Amino acid sequence: MNSLPTIAFALIALSAAVQAVFLLKGGGRKDRASRWLLLAAALLLLATSVARSVEIGFPALTGTFESLVFYAALVCLVVFAYRAQKRLAYLPLVGFGATVFALVLLAVASSPLAPKAALAPIPALKSGWLVLHVSFTFVGEAFFVASFVSALAFLLSKDEKRKLDYDRLTYTSIALGFPVFTAGALIFGAIWAERAWGSWWSWDPKETWALVTWLVYAFYLHIRLTRRRKGALPAVAAVVGFLCTLFTFLGVNYLLPGLHSYG
Amino acid sequence: MRKFLDFLRSMRLALILIAYLAATGVLATLVPQGREPEFYAGAYPKLVADLILSSGFSSFFRSWLFVLPSFLFFANLSACTMTRLLRELRKTGRRRHGPDILHVGLMLLVVGAVLTFSGRKEGFVRLAEGDAVELPDGRLLRLDRFEFLRYGDGRPKEWTSQVSVLKDGKTEREAFPIRVNNPLKLGRLSIYQTSHSVERALVVRLAEAPSGQAVERSLAQGEEFEAGGATLFFMAPDGGSGKALVRLKDAKGASSVLKLGPGEAAGPFLVASFGERDLTGLEAVVDPGYYVVLAALVLVGLGTFLAFIQKLKDQTE
Repeated sequence: MNSLPTIAFALIALSAAVQAVFLLKGGGRKDRASRWLLLAAALLLLATSVARSVEIGFPALTGTFESLVFYAALVCLVVFAYRAQKRLAYLPLVGFGATVFALVLLAVASSPLAPKAALAPIPALKSGWLVLHVSFTFVGEAFFVASFVSALAFLLSKDEKRKLDYDRLTYTSIALGFPVFTAGALIFGAIWAERAWGSWWSWDPKETWALVTWLVYAFYLHIRLTRRRKGALPAVAAVVGFLCTLFTFLGVNYLLPGLHSYG
Repeated sequence: MRKFLDFLRSMRLALILIAYLAATGVLATLVPQGREPEFYAGAYPKLVADLILSSGFSSFFRSWLFVLPSFLFFANLSACTMTRLLRELRKTGRRRHGPDILHVGLMLLVVGAVLTFSGRKEGFVRLAEGDAVELPDGRLLRLDRFEFLRYGDGRPKEWTSQVSVLKDGKTEREAFPIRVNNPLKLGRLSIYQTSHSVERALVVRLAEAPSGQAVERSLAQGEEFEAGGATLFFMAPDGGSGKALVRLKDAKGASSVLKLGPGEAAGPFLVASFGERDLTGLEAVVDPGYYVVLAALVLVGLGTFLAFIQKLKDQTE
């Protein structure tokens, strides 16, 4: 079972290589292989999560390694779904960027930063609300990965037509991710905290950063509502929002200890 | 006045406040919160430390720096929501109430937070098996059994406090297992499993107990047992001797300090055992904002998803 993430890593790397070739050649729509490689990698990563869940007798979402594996699987699935859909223009650079991000997640998962031991959860983590909290948060954040890459591409692009496509993709990804992130990070998180500690909110650094992330995306949605596609501010907000998700997930764990210091 | 109202309900103000709350929230996680003034004086240059302390940034989320903009945000949100709601209601075509529900949920969240902040009451108690404590409404909470399970590697697996609730001598709730993530709800009162500790306990029984009287008591350090006019006070463990230092006050008022071990008697008291016992830590909370916050969270979730679904419908058509 330990080799599954390694095989998934190789498949994602191969997918990224195929996408890079088509990106350089142009005509990303003709690339038919990379998305299936990503789907296969996602299934292997989810199989890893299931195997660890069986081993510890609880959904494997309570450790950093497990979270990274689950997050990487979701990012692969989002890229696969994006490549499969027909309503939005396919922007190969966004698919490629998100794939590279999934690789980075797995690289961090394999590093000493993420202990690999499969450990059953401590009492505070044994809650169905925690499972909803973590899984919904990562689903939301997987969409934010796509918004981050397309917002970056918007900021770097000089082609006005392309910029419109990037803006639309950024907006759609955030519009998809925001409700799921709200439910996961804030609503289910607050309910779990109330059940476990008797308090909806404690201003723990991780909670505060999750709220900051939510506020930045709320800022994005409102600024986009008023300014439409004018200027770079919405794209900058989308980039900052994603950097906040990263800091909330990893930065707070290692730099700002608190209630969430276990994962 | 008109200009002020326009400003109050403007998106511009909303954006400024959202950006302010996000930026100051970040700063509040970087500056350690709730420490003593000496900490800031030692950790920062004098000017910065003075600024942190005088502005209230050391307890940011209770300071005017946070509370005032939050109330302004509440006012802005209320004004925006009313304006938007009235506009939607005047529409003849399809109405989109997702954002309204979300905004009302956020307003309710602020109301719930104020209720919780102003009226929340909490109390903490440590109980050993057999101990009981009186709840604010006169009911009695008794710890029947406490269990602390560990995994093979020593990490905690579960703390379970099995309790009964008694009212006027009758059992109202029996053998409820309070665990982390499984609090006991008694109307507005919730009881949470929060901690566990171990203490040395002196178990004393009466050498000749009259019928109908409690014959055995488990004493923690500092507790006493009174019977037949005599009192036994558990002062402290006697070093590593396995005995307890006690003060015996007999029926005539004469006092003496003794060292007692299991099987040894003093006055009417007989030491049954002297060793460690588990204590559970339970926290009782009354939160007047509980149902308001719960309703607010439901509305925020519902409003966010509805807003998204309505937007998706608009784009599809």
